[in-house]
Amino acid sequence: MTLPRRTSPLSPLVQAAPALPAAALFLIGPGTGIVARSGVPLVLAVIVAALLAYAAFVVVAWLSWWRRTFWIDQDGDLRTDSGVLQRSARRLQLSRLQSVDVVAPFLARLAGLVEVRVEVAGAADSRIVLRYLTRADAEDLRGHVLALARSESLSEGAEPAPLAQVPPGRLLVGLLLRSVTAALLLATVVLIVVTALTQGPAGIALVVVTGGLPILSVATEFLANYDFRVARVAEGLRIRRGLLSTQSRTIPPDRVHAVSIVSPLLWRRRDWVRVTVTIAGVQGDEVRPDVLIPVAPRSEALALIAEVLPDVDVDALAFTSAPQRARWRSPLTWGALACAVTPQVIATRSGRITRRTSLAPHARVQSVRVTQGAWERRLGLASLHADVAPGPVEVVGRHLDEADVARLAHAEVESMRRARAS
Amino acid sequence: MDPGADAFAPPTTGWTPVSPRLATARRLTLVLAYALVVAGGVVLVFSPLPRGWIAAYAVAAVVVFAWAWWIIGRRVRSFGYAERDDDLLVVSGILVRRLVIVPYGRMQMVDLHAGPLDRSLGIATVQLHTAAATTDATIPGLLPAEAAALRDRLAARGEDRTAGL
Repeated sequence: MTLPRRTSPLSPLVQAAPALPAAALFLIGPGTGIVARSGVPLVLAVIVAALLAYAAFVVVAWLSWWRRTFWIDQDGDLRTDSGVLQRSARRLQLSRLQSVDVVAPFLARLAGLVEVRVEVAGAADSRIVLRYLTRADAEDLRGHVLALARSESLSEGAEPAPLAQVPPGRLLVGLLLRSVTAALLLATVVLIVVTALTQGPAGIALVVVTGGLPILSVATEFLANYDFRVARVAEGLRIRRGLLSTQSRTIPPDRVHAVSIVSPLLWRRRDWVRVTVTIAGVQGDEVRPDVLIPVAPRSEALALIAEVLPDVDVDALAFTSAPQRARWRSPLTWGALACAVTPQVIATRSGRITRRTSLAPHARVQSVRVTQGAWERRLGLASLHADVAPGPVEVVGRHLDEADVARLAHAEVESMRRARAS
Repeated sequence: MDPGADAFAPPTTGWTPVSPRLATARRLTLVLAYALVVAGGVVLVFSPLPRGWIAAYAVAAVVVFAWAWWIIGRRVRSFGYAERDDDLLVVSGILVRRLVIVPYGRMQMVDLHAGPLDRSLGIATVQLHTAAATTDATIPGLLPAEAAALRDRLAARGEDRTAGL
């Protein structure tokens, strides 16, 4: 139990920061004309406008900071009261705790503050985000919350030794060699050469797109996944990542609904893969982790998968491949298409340039679908879908032999029944 | 479903078809949508376009109407469902055939809904929801009594199965 208290008094100063770009926009827009007419020196006007806007934002942020308190009540629930005019109260039952995350966004970090997110199992909006606390307060609160959730063992004391780590060099090379990125970068180089040779300006506009997009995506992914570390804690796997803002999330193995092993063409010589996961949880939760490891040697990635899907040997899956006539339906990728049903999982394979192997444990598959388009029907083919919780992983065995699909669908339904019974 | 056979082969109990009233409902919707097409035609008649174009429009409209009328009948006949011991099967589609198998234990919710048109014709739709958004188990065109009974049976079975977890 704690007494109601406020977040750090520095919070309004950080939260008001968006005022500065707003002031800049004002000056670029209608402001320049006004300044020019008034005869005030531009530099002075800029400073005054920025300060005024910032002050106004600080006042608003301060009011909401002043009116917001949080505490842990005698029932062990985390509660907040907030709202300047219209008050609202929120109460999270910590016995249903799903995660406590301490995140350090860039601006808050400059002020030595962090954000705490507490999430419980439940409907759409079942979390409290506290902006901002000092790091010591945040760790204190986290310890308190975890203790109340009776799982204080899960990350007490020192960070456990990581199971896997991604060095920055490998991350950068990996991101640059992803199929779409590499193709766009190559296109950029070709365009620049062609433009230089023909001395025509037309290519330049395209270069901005073909070069800009991949650079932007590589930069965001690099910042987000910098210093990616996976460690084993009592609750599951703990992932920490990020350069400008560090994020840490825990993946409980029993909430892993599907796993996908992705290997782009240019990674295969190095035997690197990326692993994405679908975690069941609250929909629309932007901090739900979907990457188990952004780039790692295959053996390391498989060891991580073994943590969340024990008893599954990814290299020993007995795949049923698509028949050769599937080339008429899918001329490029037919050779990669395959599906397997093992005692533990359903697995599918797809993609020629970027290869994907997706796995879902039978106990997590929600339903089985068989679809057959007109063209598939002519060729005696069908596709098998294993429906899993919404997320980045799709488990579909496309364009397989009709009879194989019937057999695999039957086997999958049987396995789902057994997985449920046990 | 017999392993090794056609994936869309009916289970031993056979497919339970849906009511032909669903075809009536869908054809009524088609007729309503065609009010717009006819309105477009009227505008064309009073426009300075060559007669040939207007004739082509009329022919295309009639052909599409006849085709849609016919395909609705086939599509409604293609719907079928079967309740097995552990799961529900729903089959549908002509151009793209679909079969959905939902184990009772995975059902999170069973929806029964009927719009104003459905109600006036005496049909309803039963929809199953699981934790996966892609599960597409919808049975339209059920008689209201049948729909309510199916929903109650499914809900009861779902509870039995999940209770065993």
